Amino acid sequence: MVIEVKDLYKSFGDNEVIKGVTFDIKEGDIFGIIGQSGAGKSTLLRCFNGLEGYQSGSLLAFGKEVNKLSRSELRLVQKDMGMIFQNFNLLNRLNVYDNIALPLKFWKQNPKSAENDKRIRELLKLVGLEDKINAKPRELSGGQKQRVAIARALVMNPKVLLCDEATSALDPKITQDILSLIKKINEELGITVIMVTHQMEVVKQVCNEVVFLKKGKIVAKGKPEELFVSSNEDIKDFAGDDSDILPDKGVNIKLFFTESESADSPAITSIARELNVDFEIVQGKLENFRGRILGSLIINVDESIKDKVVDALEKRKIEWEVL
Amino acid sequence: MWDVMLKATGETMYMVFFSTFFSVILGFIPAIILTLTAPDGLKPNRAVYQVLDFLINTFRSFPFIILIVLIIPFTRLIAGTSLGATACIVPLTVSAIPFVARVMETSLRGVDKGLIEAAKSFGATDFQIIFKVYLKEAFPGILSGITLTLISLVGYSAMGGAVGAGGLGDVAIRRGYQAYNITYLIVTSLILIVFVQIVQNIGNWIYKKLS
Repeated sequence: MVIEVKDLYKSFGDNEVIKGVTFDIKEGDIFGIIGQSGAGKSTLLRCFNGLEGYQSGSLLAFGKEVNKLSRSELRLVQKDMGMIFQNFNLLNRLNVYDNIALPLKFWKQNPKSAENDKRIRELLKLVGLEDKINAKPRELSGGQKQRVAIARALVMNPKVLLCDEATSALDPKITQDILSLIKKINEELGITVIMVTHQMEVVKQVCNEVVFLKKGKIVAKGKPEELFVSSNEDIKDFAGDDSDILPDKGVNIKLFFTESESADSPAITSIARELNVDFEIVQGKLENFRGRILGSLIINVDESIKDKVVDALEKRKIEWEVL
Repeated sequence: MWDVMLKATGETMYMVFFSTFFSVILGFIPAIILTLTAPDGLKPNRAVYQVLDFLINTFRSFPFIILIVLIIPFTRLIAGTSLGATACIVPLTVSAIPFVARVMETSLRGVDKGLIEAAKSFGATDFQIIFKVYLKEAFPGILSGITLTLISLVGYSAMGGAVGAGGLGDVAIRRGYQAYNITYLIVTSLILIVFVQIVQNIGNWIYKKLS
């Protein structure tokens, strides 16, 4: 385990922001911490690398209790955890190369040594900014700045990359590019990624494990696709569920499909034929989870045939719920 | 007239440059302490911040001519005398230190908190954060603060005449105003205008180059 959180509490003065959360992050995960602004997710992330302390509970980073570490031990943990931020946090007066080299200087390493110079150039290549090596941050776009920040976060060869709302200041297209880069870093360099975000899309596309935080508490955890199909009110609310625009007569049934199910058996039309009933399709959605397509469909049936339809769904092992 | 002017210009420059130099060095220390102990600083400390803050405000509120007189014993201790251009550097420096401290504090605290947090996340020590982040990022702002200090010291140095320090202000008052010689008034003013313009433009140019 990279991170083990157990019954963690954290408050600023009287204001309790994290109220007893428990979860683990495995090596190699792209782990999402999702929730609305003020849910405590950025504070939680800052506890991982000791930027914030905590009052009670346990937080192990690489097996070590973070708030019991000495200053120099904490520095070593920080060396193993690169971090990127919503606002990039690059030094305006340093060029791209020197920004990436900054953590090396903090570790008293010569950025111009053959080994380090090679490392910086490799990272520039990885993030696709070889031609911007001498540019100042103000000459770069938001996406390019985040790429520099990613290279900077990786320069000490960390085991973990912490992303604090890393795509929240970027437009959708650039967000996609940065997400692909993060995925590539996870896959090719084997770096565990921990992402704090309020963007559902981000979690769906890259995360393999998620916790959903609300007012300092975990209200759901698991795989993003499980969270998506669950009927948790908080998540529905957060994901902008639009079930309130459904017809109010008859019964609305929501069906969940995974890729294989929908491909193997065209459930809806076969149920209609089998039962010889008609129903209305009132809403349909397809969503992409790390390349896996998941869908949901809401059908509206007459009260009198509800039981028959439900039986047919059960027979086909399709997940459903009445809305 | 011209040798009087030349001598006076030399005296003004001598006083202004040395007092700027010393006040920048001595004002830097309280500026760093203020930045660190401020509520949003690296080592917040209410007591230290407020005492220093109070001292700076107190020293800034003294009119310069009164400060000169008040610190005469101190001036004697440092310069050996309380008269002349060299002695005048002492009160000029003392009056500029709180000003420099404030101007630098403003530049330093203007550094984006996100940068400080990023540096911390990479394991930077407090010392490294001060020198490699705070000072690095605030440097252009600190430099324009120094320009500002230098120019306001030109104004203060005009009062140096009161302690026999000479300088352009002294010439303007004694030979120009009190002896009714309008030429002296105009020429000293012109020299000061040109001097301030040059300093400000150099300051702006460096600021642009650096930021």
